[in-house]
Amino acid sequence: MIAKSLVTLFGLVAIAWVNWYFLIAGRRRRDP
Amino acid sequence: MTEVVTIPVTGMTCAACSARVERTLGASPGVEAANVNLMTAEATVSFNPATTSAETLVATIRSTGYGAELPVADQSGESGQQHHAEDLRPRLAVSLVAAVLVMLLPMVIAPSGTQRFLLLGLTLPVIGWAGKAFFTRAWKAFRHHSADMNTLIAVGTGAAFGYSTVVTLKADWFTSHGIPPQVYFEAVVWIIALILLGNHLEARARGKASEAIRRLIGLRPEEVQVLRDGREVTVPLQTVQVGDEIVIRPGERVPVDGILLSGSSAVDESMLTGEPIPVEKAPGASVTGGTLNQLGTFHLEATRVGERTVLARIIRLVREAQGSKPPIQRLADRISAVFVPVVISIAIATFVIWFDIGPQPAYLHAMVAGVTVLIIACPCAMGLAVPTAVMVATGRGAGIGVLIKGGEVIELASKVDMVVLDKTGTVTEGRPRVVDVHGLEDSNRVLRLAASVEQGSEHPLAQAIVAAAGAAGLTLEAVQGFAASPGRGAHGKVGGRHVLVGNRQLLLDHGLQADPALAGADRPGTVVFVAIDDRLAGWLLITDPIKPNSAAAVRDLQSMGLEVVMITGDNQATAASVAAETGIERVFAEVLPEHKRDAVLRFQQEGHLVAMVGDGVNDAPALAQADVGIAMSGGSDVAIEAGGITLMQNDLTGVPRALRLTRRTLGIIRQNLFWAFIYNLVGIPIAAGILYPGFGLRLSPAMAAAAMAVSSISVITNSLRLRHA
Repeated sequence: MIAKSLVTLFGLVAIAWVNWYFLIAGRRRRDP
Repeated sequence: MTEVVTIPVTGMTCAACSARVERTLGASPGVEAANVNLMTAEATVSFNPATTSAETLVATIRSTGYGAELPVADQSGESGQQHHAEDLRPRLAVSLVAAVLVMLLPMVIAPSGTQRFLLLGLTLPVIGWAGKAFFTRAWKAFRHHSADMNTLIAVGTGAAFGYSTVVTLKADWFTSHGIPPQVYFEAVVWIIALILLGNHLEARARGKASEAIRRLIGLRPEEVQVLRDGREVTVPLQTVQVGDEIVIRPGERVPVDGILLSGSSAVDESMLTGEPIPVEKAPGASVTGGTLNQLGTFHLEATRVGERTVLARIIRLVREAQGSKPPIQRLADRISAVFVPVVISIAIATFVIWFDIGPQPAYLHAMVAGVTVLIIACPCAMGLAVPTAVMVATGRGAGIGVLIKGGEVIELASKVDMVVLDKTGTVTEGRPRVVDVHGLEDSNRVLRLAASVEQGSEHPLAQAIVAAAGAAGLTLEAVQGFAASPGRGAHGKVGGRHVLVGNRQLLLDHGLQADPALAGADRPGTVVFVAIDDRLAGWLLITDPIKPNSAAAVRDLQSMGLEVVMITGDNQATAASVAAETGIERVFAEVLPEHKRDAVLRFQQEGHLVAMVGDGVNDAPALAQADVGIAMSGGSDVAIEAGGITLMQNDLTGVPRALRLTRRTLGIIRQNLFWAFIYNLVGIPIAAGILYPGFGLRLSPAMAAAAMAVSSISVITNSLRLRHA
């Protein structure tokens, strides 16, 4: 149960980070 | 001060790659515009030489993870592509051999530590060498906050490889926790092998698509026989200068554009015009480089060499066109940019869901499903959908005498609903001919005197009169005191008599009345009056004959659902007659050259998408105003520059042919995009395991790689169908 919760939490954080890194930070970097 | 440089770029495999190079170049200092063409593997950059240099730009491209080298003079556009294909071959061979071995190995050796170590040993060269480029490119993309298909491959195979390596090294730990020590090396090897295979096939198919250019380049002979100091010497094509006298023997290709000096022959121009019948050439005739001499030997004076020849211009047009992006491409580009982060998110979500609610061993299934999503989502097919079709279509066009300037032209031309034809030189020959001579007393005298006056004039009507006198075998006399009145005619003294040749207005100016009964006003054509010593002596009727194929072409266009309109500066009667003979329903006559453009604009305001067909300098503004300008190659350079499409054959049949090709191309592009979208739309959920609860169906990572390769190849194959359009 703890493992599942941790994986879910980790997954959500990872998804958020991927989208931030490539879409938001990436765009800011490309057209500042 | 702006300089433009074209840099060959290697290693780009999809739209996301070229978009990234383009973005990076566009953002670097001193760069004014950057355009990266995936198909020709070239970056065209305009930059300020004071701020940056070509070398810096090359370094900038390399920093994005792709190969770039300074352009070599006269490179043919295939070097980058070919290099890419050659570089791929040994890597593909190694990975294919490894793929077969990892498949056979489990049949020979039962699952054990030894088997797992052997599999690891077979996988290492594949992931470390054959597929290394995917990882380096993915890493460089990552550092630039961007992701492309390399990212998907690297993350997918990297995850499978990392997990399998841990299992191999620590099998006991897994067994003691009740997890079977399952490895996925064969998936890693197969994925890399299949993607390399796909890349290799793509490189080859692209090579085929650029065959059109290669074929055009191949029309130039490498060596030329030139007369220097009265002796015939063989020199390389590049050293031929304007003014050189070149000897061309039977069966040889004409190397440059020139004027025939001596000798005669028939020249096969089909490679440029599509016209199958060889054209007879006599001294004074112009001969185009790239055409094929048939039976005679002749000497040619070079008038245009190198980049200035017609052939070089065609090659340039085709190359520029093949690289340009139609507006529909922007859709594909926008999708690619957000696609990768979304796919990675789906892969993570897939992992989490399989882990939380999937069957045991949960994390094993979770990892396999996540990796499969990453693999199947590779957007190559989407990236290839538009450029392959544009490339094949422009190449095919060049083969049938239709030069298309670019992807945007293709898209617009396919949607055109009205074709506006200029009359002179387009529907008609553009070379007026005297069809009737009427003398009050002596017809031959009227023609002879009129031709004598006009022999020095450049006006097309004057030339028609002189030609008619020549054809009738009349001897012309010298003219004294020749004077031309623009828009009216000319007069001068011939044999002591004062001769007026011109229209009704010219007669009025000299106090003469043209009897309307004489004028034949109901007959189509231009009436030229001749007066001798201030007395009307007769008139000539001059018409511009309709080209033999015009009526058929108009019918063809109408059958395609297009409205055909003719605009002309000529009078109503002439225009109506030409329209009736060719089946054109809407005619606008007596339109001044400067108003042709306004007419096109009016049609556009009526809501039509207009293709304008013309040949003259005076058509250029209208050609540029139209949504698609179609220029006849027999016409002026200005018209060709202004047009989006150039017809190499000097008749109207090229128009329906060109419009059909563009319609077909847009159809293929739509199909390509549709299938590429559908593939991802269907493939990703299946890979994520959506069919598992209901049907127990899952994809393996290797199957995903195969599906991805198949979709890319099917898009390319679909585009190649245009070769026979």
